[in-house]
Amino acid sequence: MITADNLVKTFIRNEKKNKKSEFNAVDGISLSVREGEIVGILGPNGAGKTTLLRMMSKLMKPTSGMVSVRIGEEELTDEIEVKRHIGYLSNNTKLYGRLSTRELLQMLGVLYGIAEEDTKHRIDEISEVLSMESFLDNRIEKLSTGQTQRASIARCLVHDPQVYIFDEPTLGLDIISSAAIVDFMKGEREKGKTVLYSTHYMEEAEYLCDRIIMIHQGRIIGEGTPAELRVQTGRDSLRDIFAGLIDENGGLESDMRDLGKEEAGKRRVRR
Amino acid sequence: MSTRIIQTLVKKEMLDVFRDKKTVIMMLVVPIILYPLIFIGVMQLMAFVSSSMKEQNYRIVVEAEDEGRFLHKLEEFQKDRAESAGAENQAADETVRETTADTDGETDEEASGQSYEITIVDAGSITDYKEALNEEEIDVYVSGRMKDGKVQYEAYYLSSVENSSYAAGIVMDALDELKEDMTKQIITEQGMDIQAILEPIVYERQDIASSEQSIGNIIGSILPFMLVISLLMGTMYPAIDTTAGERERGTLETILTLPVTNRQLIISKFITVAVIGMVSAFLNILSMGVITLYMYKMLDMQTDMGSFDLAKFIPAILVCILAVFAFSLFISAVTMCVTSFAKSYKEANNYITPLMLIVMFVGYIGFIPNIELTQTIAMIPVANICLLIKNMMAFKIDYGAIAVVLSSNVAYAVIAILFLSKIYDSEAILFADGKAGLQLFERRSNLKKGGVPTVSDVWFVVAVTILLMLYVGSLLQIRFGLAGAFGTQMILLLVPLFLVVYTKRDIRQTYGFARTKAVNFLGGALISVGMVLLNLVITAALMKLFPQSTENMETVFSELFESNVVAAFVVIAVTPAVCEEMLFRGVIMHSMKAKYRVSSAIAITAVLFGLYHMSLVKFIPTGLIGLLLCLVAWKADSIYPAMLMHFINNAISVIVSYYPEQVEKVLPVFAKTTLSVSDALCLSGAGLVLVGIGWAVLVKARKADKAVIS
Repeated sequence: MITADNLVKTFIRNEKKNKKSEFNAVDGISLSVREGEIVGILGPNGAGKTTLLRMMSKLMKPTSGMVSVRIGEEELTDEIEVKRHIGYLSNNTKLYGRLSTRELLQMLGVLYGIAEEDTKHRIDEISEVLSMESFLDNRIEKLSTGQTQRASIARCLVHDPQVYIFDEPTLGLDIISSAAIVDFMKGEREKGKTVLYSTHYMEEAEYLCDRIIMIHQGRIIGEGTPAELRVQTGRDSLRDIFAGLIDENGGLESDMRDLGKEEAGKRRVRR
Repeated sequence: MSTRIIQTLVKKEMLDVFRDKKTVIMMLVVPIILYPLIFIGVMQLMAFVSSSMKEQNYRIVVEAEDEGRFLHKLEEFQKDRAESAGAENQAADETVRETTADTDGETDEEASGQSYEITIVDAGSITDYKEALNEEEIDVYVSGRMKDGKVQYEAYYLSSVENSSYAAGIVMDALDELKEDMTKQIITEQGMDIQAILEPIVYERQDIASSEQSIGNIIGSILPFMLVISLLMGTMYPAIDTTAGERERGTLETILTLPVTNRQLIISKFITVAVIGMVSAFLNILSMGVITLYMYKMLDMQTDMGSFDLAKFIPAILVCILAVFAFSLFISAVTMCVTSFAKSYKEANNYITPLMLIVMFVGYIGFIPNIELTQTIAMIPVANICLLIKNMMAFKIDYGAIAVVLSSNVAYAVIAILFLSKIYDSEAILFADGKAGLQLFERRSNLKKGGVPTVSDVWFVVAVTILLMLYVGSLLQIRFGLAGAFGTQMILLLVPLFLVVYTKRDIRQTYGFARTKAVNFLGGALISVGMVLLNLVITAALMKLFPQSTENMETVFSELFESNVVAAFVVIAVTPAVCEEMLFRGVIMHSMKAKYRVSSAIAITAVLFGLYHMSLVKFIPTGLIGLLLCLVAWKADSIYPAMLMHFINNAISVIVSYYPEQVEKVLPVFAKTTLSVSDALCLSGAGLVLVGIGWAVLVKARKADKAVIS
């Protein structure tokens, strides 16, 4: 089980010249994900999803608040200890292109402190499950997108973590590759693992998640199972629920409007 | 556990780096293939040059009232040369050693001198010898006129043309011989002993340096520079690859998810870079060593340099290896610090450029004679390594200095690593996904109009400008004197201007071309006069401290000052006031101000302005001038008062140099080289008062402005 307690992350934004302003990318979020549960984080661009997940996987230090992982009876808060039990995957976690998948996994085995023999077994096991035998010894930069995706999954599997944190894992993937990830997450849930992930795709969230947390401007604006959310808001589709909640909470204000401007600006320049 | 983790990480980094073609090429191809190729190329070029010199024909015009004596001498001279060259070629077939051994002195000259042909051009065909020399129709014009019962010869030549200079040398040699012949003739006519009069004493210079010492001296001035540069080049690519490269490829976040501490991560990266740097330095040295040995062998066959004992160099080589080790730690840590800020290869390359310039600049110290490895220099990175190696090669062993140099390098490396771990702790740097700062290489159509250049752009352009100034500018100055100095100023103006125009920046904003109150000019003028007085005191103090370097400075300047006063005024006072101001108080200061606080922007600009003057002694006075110029440009919100100040400052030095007598009459302090204490106090007091009044004027003008606005 992974728990976030009142997480806050403050960034300093450089505005023109010497003025600097602070803003909270994550503004007091508490949540917890149990074993055997998949929780989805939904939110528009700039809502603070990535920052939240980075803090929960200990890549970033929160300005205030705590993240802890419970393994059995043990409550872990130390950065290194927590990282040992988390498998984190995002768009930005690329693999070392000049190494082969096997070399990479072996190296990770050592870094996670797994005995050499065990790592070997684990690699065989994973490569069978993900059917990677054919390209296990090829350099990663030579692999196809789908193969790279599987190698990425293998990377977060090698230490058999209790908690998975995925940041928009299916973004930009084709149906088959994203289906592989969705299936993988379902499979891990069956094994009693804890899964926390963020996405843009409503259908996927509805299909996969036991619980959904909607965030906007660094705050939670809605939480519950899909069914509970329907009851709370009286709307039927997740898309409508989401849009409604955002409207209630100040709408897409500045962030989105700024984004619109930027887009328009780009277009103007291109011309 | 920790060592095992570091081991694994190092292994991973090594694999990653070595599987990159770029690094391998830099490491292997450069020392193993490129150096020998360059060497062969240079040899070929030398052979080509010497063969083209052999066929050289010098055209000399002689117009002398000496009954054809010199003409005759010249012909004789040429015949002698031709014969001796022929004889030497013959001798070379037999035994080389003997010819060099039994004829002393003169043979050296002949061996290196080329055989040539002299064509005596009929004097009648030349109407204007100056024009003929300039058109390169003839190489030397010799005139000889009777004056006070003697023939006075003048040999006119063009020092900027190589053939002409060489031919002038031959003419001078021939004249020397003619003089000797005539002296001998007179002595014989007087019935005296030639030997006793011409050589009343016999003397010779004996070099007691062992061949090891003289070889060590040569190696000692070149080797340190080569080592420093090859280590820098060797660490550069792995440093970029493990820091900026990792970020560009997106694996940084992956590695951060692992249960590894930042320190372990940094140490393993650092070990990788340092080891690769050392290996590549070793390969570089090996390759250069082999080439040197080869050259030595070739020279050895031609000239007898005496036996030399490699074993005597062993202690020096051991210390060198230690020095290379310590320096590679230092330079790896520093390069990594610099590249860690970059988000991509391209950006990292731009950050490296200024670092490289600084290292090369400081590393040059090994070539400067008579610089001792003092306690202070032993603490200066790069310089200390260069001097240590130089000293070791000259068999000057000082264990204290060795210890200081080695430990200071290690200490700096540790500081740099601590700084590096700060960077890796800083999420703002690690997760920054902003655009690269460098816009100069972007497609122009993608750039937005307006604003000031980015800081990275400016650093890059400053580096390019300084390089151009160093190489092209100094060449121009040597060749064309004052006009060359003007050209250098144009480089300062045009290169940054290209950046501003290309990246579509706002010219008014970038350069601070803004109208400003007349009062601001008054304030600026007062400050600049005060500044001149203060600098008189500072320069006098510095002259006391470093007497030698100031002398050098004077001679460089005096050459520039020899030209026409109006031209000097334009080139030394007007042009820098425009060009240097547009670079420093314009582009540099405004771009820095857009990114950093005003105080830092001003400090950076002032320091750069001081460094730009390329002299340690001048650094303090010019840095001060830079500081005051920045402050005025900032307070007045315009570059124009700074331009006026710069003009006043330089104009005063032109006036002082051109009219020293007049200046001495009016203001005697300007002509003094040393100042008495009371003089110094008066001057600095007056200077400070003037600067203070000027500043008050500026501040008041500013306040009045604000009042109007509110």
